[in-house]
Amino acid sequence: MRTFFLEIITPEKTFFRGEVESIHIPAVGGSCTIMGGHQPMVFAVEPGAMRITQEGKTREAFMSEGFVEVRPDETIAFAQAVEWPEEINERRAAEAKERAEEQLRRNRSAAEYRLNRIALQRAFARLQVKHHNYLSDR
Amino acid sequence: MADITELKHRIGSIHDTHQITKAMELISVAKMRKAIQKQTYSSVYLDSVRYTLKDIMLHSTDIRHKYLERRRDNRAAYIVIAGDKGLAGAFNNNVLNLAWEHMQAHPVHYVITIGQMARAYFEARHQTVDLEFTHAVASPTMHDARGITWDILDLYDRNLMDEVYVVFTRMRSTSVHEPTLVKLLPIEAEDIEADVKSSYSGQLSYDPSPKQVLNVLVPQYLIGIIYAALIHSSASEHAARMMAMSNANKNAEKMLDALNLEYNRLRQSSITTELLDLTSGRFAAENDA
Repeated sequence: MRTFFLEIITPEKTFFRGEVESIHIPAVGGSCTIMGGHQPMVFAVEPGAMRITQEGKTREAFMSEGFVEVRPDETIAFAQAVEWPEEINERRAAEAKERAEEQLRRNRSAAEYRLNRIALQRAFARLQVKHHNYLSDR
Repeated sequence: MADITELKHRIGSIHDTHQITKAMELISVAKMRKAIQKQTYSSVYLDSVRYTLKDIMLHSTDIRHKYLERRRDNRAAYIVIAGDKGLAGAFNNNVLNLAWEHMQAHPVHYVITIGQMARAYFEARHQTVDLEFTHAVASPTMHDARGITWDILDLYDRNLMDEVYVVFTRMRSTSVHEPTLVKLLPIEAEDIEADVKSSYSGQLSYDPSPKQVLNVLVPQYLIGIIYAALIHSSASEHAARMMAMSNANKNAEKMLDALNLEYNRLRQSSITTELLDLTSGRFAAENDA
């Protein structure tokens, strides 16, 4: 299978560097999978589950808001945070979810509503990835 | 020649100061190590995100978006990042002077400060501070960067400013920190210094649409840049303070050496005079008897 070079970078660390077969991203226009030889393209990403397939094995990770640029030589992804299931702090995510729900109940402005909705989406995605136990041999 | 008690007092006070600067140096070393770890990662991010953004700009020539278009006026907003405390050599002054000089070229400007020293500097120059963020200097988090970015974008969207700059100290290495001014908005390819050697020609596609992608991409890019600026600034501050304190230590040691020598000389000479007094007194008494 054709591979391509993938880099995933967050402000706090370089999450991933390596040759992969495909990456599945939670893009704003709907989830999609990028494979080798894709045409140059830019995607915006919303908080959700991301999947990387490397040497036939697929792993799932949480990905926060960000963007992805597909270039012929490499694909590069930027996000505020990317975490493997074992790195996700479940208690913090659950607290964030409650806080966001509470804020949404008494939201004041459209801007606040938007921020809270994203915060809630982030918390949901973290919890989902944490509990999903994505099987790599499927 | 100074009085001996006065000298003793001076030695005491310099010794106390020396102890304080020594402690501060040790603290700065520890804090700097931690900050540098973060700084290395955010440098990688900063370089590649700017490279990527330029690459994207070069391949999207006919795309129009509110964050990419130059506005007619030139009301500029400055986000100035300095430290919360002094005692860090020229660290605060260098970055603040750079911001100040640049401001003089823009008659209408807004000032957004991060850090106590930045606010104090502009207040002393009768420059009103329009917005202030506290608690973002000591240990910057992504949460701080998000808050700052959303506030700035809100002001920009309300058409209160036409250009946004961030002024911070960029850390090149532990001993080289340079004050840097980066234009955040509007985003234009020629403002980004990265040397892009593109691997393809032609236009990029956007999914789902250029507008929707840029609505997410631009704020995300800004959050990353502001976070990196905060991290760089705090790492530089600790490094600058460490150097300032190690210089202070060296000075204190030199002064203590000189003063101790002086003190010993004085003590010796006073002992000699006392001895002379005693012996000559005794001689006088013996002769009288």
